[in-house]
Amino acid sequence: MNYPSEWSLRRAIAFCAALGVTVAAYIAIAEAGGDSPVCLAGGSGCKTVADSSYSHVAGVNIAIFGVIGYLLLLASSFFANDAARLGGFLIALGGFGYSLFLTYVEIFKIEAICQWCLGSAVLMTIIFLLSATRLIGYGGTDGAVPDRA
Amino acid sequence: MNESPERRAKLLQVAAGAAFLALAVVIALIVVNASGGGDGGDTSLEGASEVNRSLQGIPQEEMLLGDPEAPVELVEFGDLQCPYCAAYAGEILPPIIENQVKKGQLKIDFRNFTIIGPDSAEAGAAALAAGVQGRGWNFVELFYRNQGGENEGYAADEAFLEAVAKGAGVKDLDRWNEDRALKTAEVEETTAEAQQLGIEGTPTFAIRGPKTDGLEVIGTPDSTSALEEAIEGAR
Repeated sequence: MNYPSEWSLRRAIAFCAALGVTVAAYIAIAEAGGDSPVCLAGGSGCKTVADSSYSHVAGVNIAIFGVIGYLLLLASSFFANDAARLGGFLIALGGFGYSLFLTYVEIFKIEAICQWCLGSAVLMTIIFLLSATRLIGYGGTDGAVPDRA
Repeated sequence: MNESPERRAKLLQVAAGAAFLALAVVIALIVVNASGGGDGGDTSLEGASEVNRSLQGIPQEEMLLGDPEAPVELVEFGDLQCPYCAAYAGEILPPIIENQVKKGQLKIDFRNFTIIGPDSAEAGAAALAAGVQGRGWNFVELFYRNQGGENEGYAADEAFLEAVAKGAGVKDLDRWNEDRALKTAEVEETTAEAQQLGIEGTPTFAIRGPKTDGLEVIGTPDSTSALEEAIEGAR
């Protein structure tokens, strides 16, 4: 099976992770300032979600975990070796799983949608798919050789 | 390209195991949450999960429940120690919240009118401080569900107030504690406002809408349908 070149996958992961850092940092900074993220399309879903108890784990805003996760994913895209491939996949898997849970919570428990959280969930899903493709396509190969076509 | 089949097999095994584990964790989290774990803290208080579930998804800004752009505003002057207010919150208001507030047609503002005793002001300030974190109505409704006798001391008891705050889902208890001290003046202001409006008991309602002349006191409608009629008259 032909996979996109690892270089392309790494660039796409880096791009999405950088966007993710921006989104998560915005949510974290808005919350730290005593406000809530502002929904660009209007409505109060972002505030409702930010005010819910699901927005914090052990007293820490989950957006901060998001920033850390995206930074680690960004770092994993800088290296073409198995540690970075597996590490990136595992972080993306954790982020994707947690995003799934949070989206369920938004729809069925809080009954409000925060577009920033949804945006982050979409980014995490894309990164997960890219990381899985990268691991399956290039796991066990020597990163020093040219990319597979 | 140099490829190591053993290393590759090992990597994919680890990845598959992790994916399986992640799937199990997500399913477990969803099942635990679906079966009662909810948007609240201390569930030792009676009714915490019901209160939080009933208010889920409704915007709250300070003590305003509902869409701030809703065309009609109902103002409730209440005292947290008042048993009639508790009965009203339990029986008459829920259908209005469900059918009108949730649909963005009505917003309800809770204002303290402390007439029963000094403990009411302590409790009222605690509710306003919960409102700063978007949990004011959760606090008020949970307080009502666990209400004690008038002026028996429970309403100003630190442990009780903190348990209500936790059960209502107040996230930052340190901030809540700081805000309580800042909110006593607001309790006095709304009590003075009620007196200026000629209100003598709790709960008393006032309404503002397209068909009212500013904020009009409507008294205490004795049923959901009577309250709905008053709301329709203001729309």
